[in-house]
Amino acid sequence: MIHLVILAISVLIGLVFSYLAITERDLLKAVGFSAIQAVAYAIAFYLLMAPDIVLAYVAISVGIYSALLIFLIRKTGRYEV
Amino acid sequence: MKRTLPLLLILALVVVFAYLFATKGVISAPTELRPLGKFYLEKCMIGGDFAAGSPEAVTSILWDYRGLDTLFETSVFFLAIIGSLMLFSFKVKEVVREQELTLVVRSVTKIAAVMILAVSASIALHGHLTPGGGFQGGSALAVAPLLVLVAFSRKILETSGLSLKRAIVIRSLGLMGILLTALLPLTLGGYIMQNLPIFPKYIADQLTSGSLIFYNVFEYLAVGAGFTAVFLLISIPEKNFVEEEK
Repeated sequence: MIHLVILAISVLIGLVFSYLAITERDLLKAVGFSAIQAVAYAIAFYLLMAPDIVLAYVAISVGIYSALLIFLIRKTGRYEV
Repeated sequence: MKRTLPLLLILALVVVFAYLFATKGVISAPTELRPLGKFYLEKCMIGGDFAAGSPEAVTSILWDYRGLDTLFETSVFFLAIIGSLMLFSFKVKEVVREQELTLVVRSVTKIAAVMILAVSASIALHGHLTPGGGFQGGSALAVAPLLVLVAFSRKILETSGLSLKRAIVIRSLGLMGILLTALLPLTLGGYIMQNLPIFPKYIADQLTSGSLIFYNVFEYLAVGAGFTAVFLLISIPEKNFVEEEK
């Protein structure tokens, strides 16, 4: 039962932070929000017994994806117009 | 706070709908395995002609039962990397000194990079025994040079032996390895991408699951080096690009 509660909480955290990431105008902050969302979803994947997904998802969505977006923000502009 | 109200509304809606669905029993988790899932779970380790020789059903499906799918996925991924390598085919100015981050960040990076290398190797090399595999390990591996690139500089990565050319060479070696492992059974009278019994299930009394360990190792190198090559290119500031003279 407790794992279902943790699952619900982590998915709701993911929902909140994905909403914040979409509506945020400061793109650097949005990348941070999206990384938090990724961590919450990684916990959800782990609780849904998909450890293979977790291993790829954490490395890509927190590390590689965030870094790629930060490099792109440095090359373009920080604020959304 | 213009954003708070819609957020609260969405949250309330999601919670209410989830509660309604859960209590009415519209959506419920399956209690027993489907026949296909049962087949893979039972046959992946000990299944006679259907065995992949690995206790890990996911890796067995990825590189044995549905091996061709993964092979084509890998080729799509590497076409994407070749595309980005083409986009960045500029000449680059030599930079004498690049900015580094503070001592705290650099010290943490030094420790974390080594740990990431160890973890990624363990994910990839145990991919046929425990959850994990070549792609997962490779993408974890790519985070280590990325951290060094951000905390230190591009130059340090290149002087310590990981230049762009070398990353591309490692990536190509990995791809060649995958291709050779896929084609080798054809020369020995088997089918393309055949696993057992062309490849031995045990090497020196260690369970290596036939071709799965080879695929994992080569994919690990190819994915890690491919991502690293892209990051080495994308981290160059635009002002250092030199227009080629016509």
